[in-house]
Order: sequence, then C-alpha cells, then structure tokens
Amino acid sequence: MNMNFIDYLILGAYVLVTIIVGYSLRKYMKTSEDFFLSGRSLPSWITSLAFLSANLGALEVIGMVANSAKYGILTVHFYWIGAIPAMIFLGLFMMPFYYGSKVRSVPEYLKLRYNEATRGLNAISFATMTLLMSGISMYAMALLFELTLGWSLTSSILLSALVVLIYVFFGGLSSSIYNEVIQFFLIWLGLLPVVYIGLHAVGGFEGLVQRIPASFFQAWRHMGSAANNPMGVDWLGVVLGLGFVLSFGYWTTDFLVVQRALASEDLAAAQRTPIVASFPKMLVPIIVVIPGLLAVALLPQFKIVPGGPTPDYNSALILMFAHYLPNGILGLAITGLLASFMSGMAGNVTAFNTVWTYDIYGSYIKKGMPDQHYLKMGKYATVFGVLFSIGTAYIVRSFPNLMDYMQLLFSFLNAPLFATFLLGMFWKKATPWGGFWGLLLGIFAAATHYLLYRLGVVHYASEMAANFYQAWWAWCTDFVITIVVSSFTVKKDESTLVGLVYSLTPRMRSEGSLFRKPMFWGVLSLVVMILLNVIFW
Amino acid sequence: MEGSENQKHFFDLKIPLGCLLGFYGILLVAYGLLGPSDIYERSLSLNVNLDWGILMIVISGAFLIFAYRRKKA
Repeated sequence: MNMNFIDYLILGAYVLVTIIVGYSLRKYMKTSEDFFLSGRSLPSWITSLAFLSANLGALEVIGMVANSAKYGILTVHFYWIGAIPAMIFLGLFMMPFYYGSKVRSVPEYLKLRYNEATRGLNAISFATMTLLMSGISMYAMALLFELTLGWSLTSSILLSALVVLIYVFFGGLSSSIYNEVIQFFLIWLGLLPVVYIGLHAVGGFEGLVQRIPASFFQAWRHMGSAANNPMGVDWLGVVLGLGFVLSFGYWTTDFLVVQRALASEDLAAAQRTPIVASFPKMLVPIIVVIPGLLAVALLPQFKIVPGGPTPDYNSALILMFAHYLPNGILGLAITGLLASFMSGMAGNVTAFNTVWTYDIYGSYIKKGMPDQHYLKMGKYATVFGVLFSIGTAYIVRSFPNLMDYMQLLFSFLNAPLFATFLLGMFWKKATPWGGFWGLLLGIFAAATHYLLYRLGVVHYASEMAANFYQAWWAWCTDFVITIVVSSFTVKKDESTLVGLVYSLTPRMRSEGSLFRKPMFWGVLSLVVMILLNVIFW
Repeated sequence: MEGSENQKHFFDLKIPLGCLLGFYGILLVAYGLLGPSDIYERSLSLNVNLDWGILMIVISGAFLIFAYRRKKA
C-alpha cells in the first residue's frame, strides 16, 4: 500500500493538532485534580464521546474486524449484549456512588467502602494491567505500520510514544479526553469510506447478504449449543460470561472508562456519560462488523473454504484499505486508526498516572504532601508509564492472538471485581475483609480455572467459551466468598458508609426536563438495544 | 490534595476539531478535483475524495457555527 504526500499531509495535520491541543491545555493544570480529573468540569457530550473512544482503541477496531471476518455477525454480541446493559447500569445505579462520594479513582472507592488492603490489591493490579494494555496497543500500532507503510517497528513505537508523552505530560486527563473526542470523529470519517465503497462493490446490503453464508447474519439463531456456531459458545456462555460478568466487570469498574465520567461537571452529567455513549456504541458494528463481512465477501483470501488454511484475520481491515481506498481517503483511514491507537494508549497512561499517584504513591509511599508535589509526581508517572509501555510492546510481540490475550487479563482481574462492587454498593453487610478475600480468591479462581483448562482437565468447545465461563466462575467465587467471610468478620460502622452504599444514601431526585434525566436515556437505549437484537436474530 | 475551582475553564474543543476537519475537507476536495484520476480505479471509479471532502467541509462548518454561536451567547 503506497501512501503519497497527500496521505502524509493528513497524518501530519492530525499529529500537529493533538500536540497543539495538549500543549495549550498546560496553563490550566494548576492542581492535581485539574491534571487527573480535568477539574471535574467537562460537559457530558465531551465525556460521553471520550468514554466510548477510550475503549475504541487499536485492539478493539482491528480485533473486532478480525472477529467479524471469522465469526460473522456474532461479533455484535460484544456490543449489543456485551456492553450496553453494563453502560446503562453504570450510569443509572453506580455513578451516584462514584461521583457522589467524590472519590478520585476506582481503588479509592474500595478503600472507603472496604479497607486499605482491598484498595491496594486493586490499585496494584490495575496499574500493572493498564501499562501492559498500553504496551499491547503500541505493539499493534507498530505492527500495522510495518505491514502497511513499511515503517520499522521501532521508529513507529518511538514516534507514537513521544507524541502521547508530550500531550499527556502537558494536558493530563483533559488532553487525553480531548484527543479521544477528536479520535471519535476521525475513526468514523476514516472507516466509513471503506464501508461505502465495499457495499458498492457487492451491490448494496442485499448483495452482501447473498454472498456470504446465512449464518453470518444471524446473531442468536445458532446459539442453542456451542457446536452449532463458529464461535463455539452457547447462549448461556454469552449471556452470563460476556454479557453479565465480563462486560459489567469492564464497563463499571475499569478506571480507564470510569475516569472519563468522573471528569464531568456534575452528577447528572456523570450519569449521562455512559448512557449517552451507549448510543454511538450500538452503531460501532457499522464500522467494524461490516468491513469484516465485506472482507469475506470480496477478498479471495478470506473466502470460507472448509478445511482450507486459516487466513490471518487480523489483517482483514488493512487489506480492505489497500484494495479499495485511493490516496487521500487512504490517508484519512490510516489517520483514524493512528488516532485510535494513540488515544487508547493515552487513556491507559492517564488512568495509570492517576491510580499510581493517588492510590499507590500518595497512599503508601509519601502521604500528606502538598498538592503541587502530587501534580509533579503525576507528570513523572506519565514519563515512566510511557517508558514501561515501550518495554511491554516488545514483550508482547511473542503473543500472536492479541484479542484473546486481552480477554484473558480481563477475566483474571476484572471479572471478580464486579462482584465486589455489586455487594459493596448494594449490600451494606459486606465487611472490609469480606471484600478483600472475595476479590483475592476471585482472581485466584480465574487463574485456577485457566490452569485447569490449559491442562485439559476442563473442556470447552472453543477458547472463547473457556474465557466466558472462566469469568463467570471467578465472579461466583468472589460473590460467595465475600458473603461467607462477611458473615463472621467485623462490619463497618454504618455512618462511614453513607454515600457509598445504596440503602444508606438519601435518594436524589434529578431535576430539569425529561431530556436531561439519565433514566429516560437509559430506558431508551435499552429499548433500541433489544430491537437491534430482534432484527438480527 | 486540594480540589479544583471547578469552573469551566478549558477552551472550546469544537474550534480545533472544526479547523482540522475543514482542512481535511478542503484538501480532499482539491485533490479530488486536481489530482490524478487513475487512482479511482481502486474505488470502482467513485471519486470518493471529492464526495468525502464535501461532507467533511459540511461537518466542519457545523462545528464552527456552533462554536461561534456559543461564544456570542
């Protein structure tokens, strides 16, 4: 694929604007809260788009196009069952405790609700996982540019790391969020042309339907048993593992996304953040699932041949670019991908520097220093985080299927976490040590299950099914252990739990018109989600 | 660690975003009109640069108009 001067001009303009935006935010970074939480001052349209984009990173786009070429429309389960309910739940039921209690991070909530040990466990595992993810994103980006533009792996890693470092260093979370919003528009404008031209080539949507197997268009009809569908997962695994545990674990407790909502200007805006984001989230399959299906219909190497060699699905999107996009639009598409890579990485770095500074450094290493000290530490942590990510990028080169690796990490750490939060927010009798042991043994259960699966003791039809069920069992372990340990350990005084637990927090009535109410948008979103599932049944 | 003053103190993102998309729009339209035409063999002889460029100019205009009206209000 040959990029010419016009493509590079488009790419260059993007890099320039991100740096200018980041650099011009530096004068607003006066306190640590400005740097880590954007001074809690952003309107909900900005935080919503950032909430969505923070997740729409490198692996998401390339991996989901790959999944669509491999499994067809089953990929929509990652959106229409695997994200929307969790996003609505976060906005309606959990945000009042996150935003209302004025915590600055997810681990800080765990400290207030449970104890220091629970916070420490979560903070350290989150900080580590975040940097690993950042390294994975960077590796994926570098690999893409090596394949498409012939750039060396090292130069694209260093270049992107430098740009991210500059804008996060100067502008903190605000910079990261602003760039995520820019990315949101670029990824849509960059990927829609390939959908448009591709659909033109197959003769519209009907043409696409005719060219690929019918099962590629039916999201639920073949989910009765794991043997009947290409994913090798039954409906129960999808609903419990993906829809319930994995997606709730990710969307409601992962600080990377929750941090965007915490940057909102008030509680109602914080509640609307994930709910408003759920609408464009439902549309993301247009730019990831359709290109994957088009690759199957149009590119000979993805044609379904029983018993044939397995194609390299991760290259599906790029091959579509190479085949159909002329210079100009090509530069825009590459820029959209670059933007999603860089903002994914920046999102990880900002979440890391906040958790590191508030929950690790400010809690265990140097307590009670003046605010400026922590502001400075946040900037150092940014530099360290970027350097560590670069190191990780080189390590993950040896893992071939990035998406599975990501899910593996999620199910170890995030899956049990949702049980800890659910009990913490909605059951006042959960005790500090109940929370800690539930979380620790939940993670342990996930690791044990993985080991048993690898050793061949437990069997599933596919790796994905193993991941989904592993998340489910980890969640159950956490849930049960927390309840059991809570029954014989010392409870917290109820007065310390006000604002943190549902039954002890006075209900706030949201004011204003119907269109400002989170509940209205939440219900609407749920209705649209159900309709989509029915249409593509 | 003291809190922020919680004022709306960041600049309006619609301006840089509108400018970037506007620049892309103009660039794509110009390239679509003046650039080589054999590159469109790939895109089934659709001049997508021209079409997409016009769309981006419209989106950019919308951002800048909203930003301008908000500033005046």
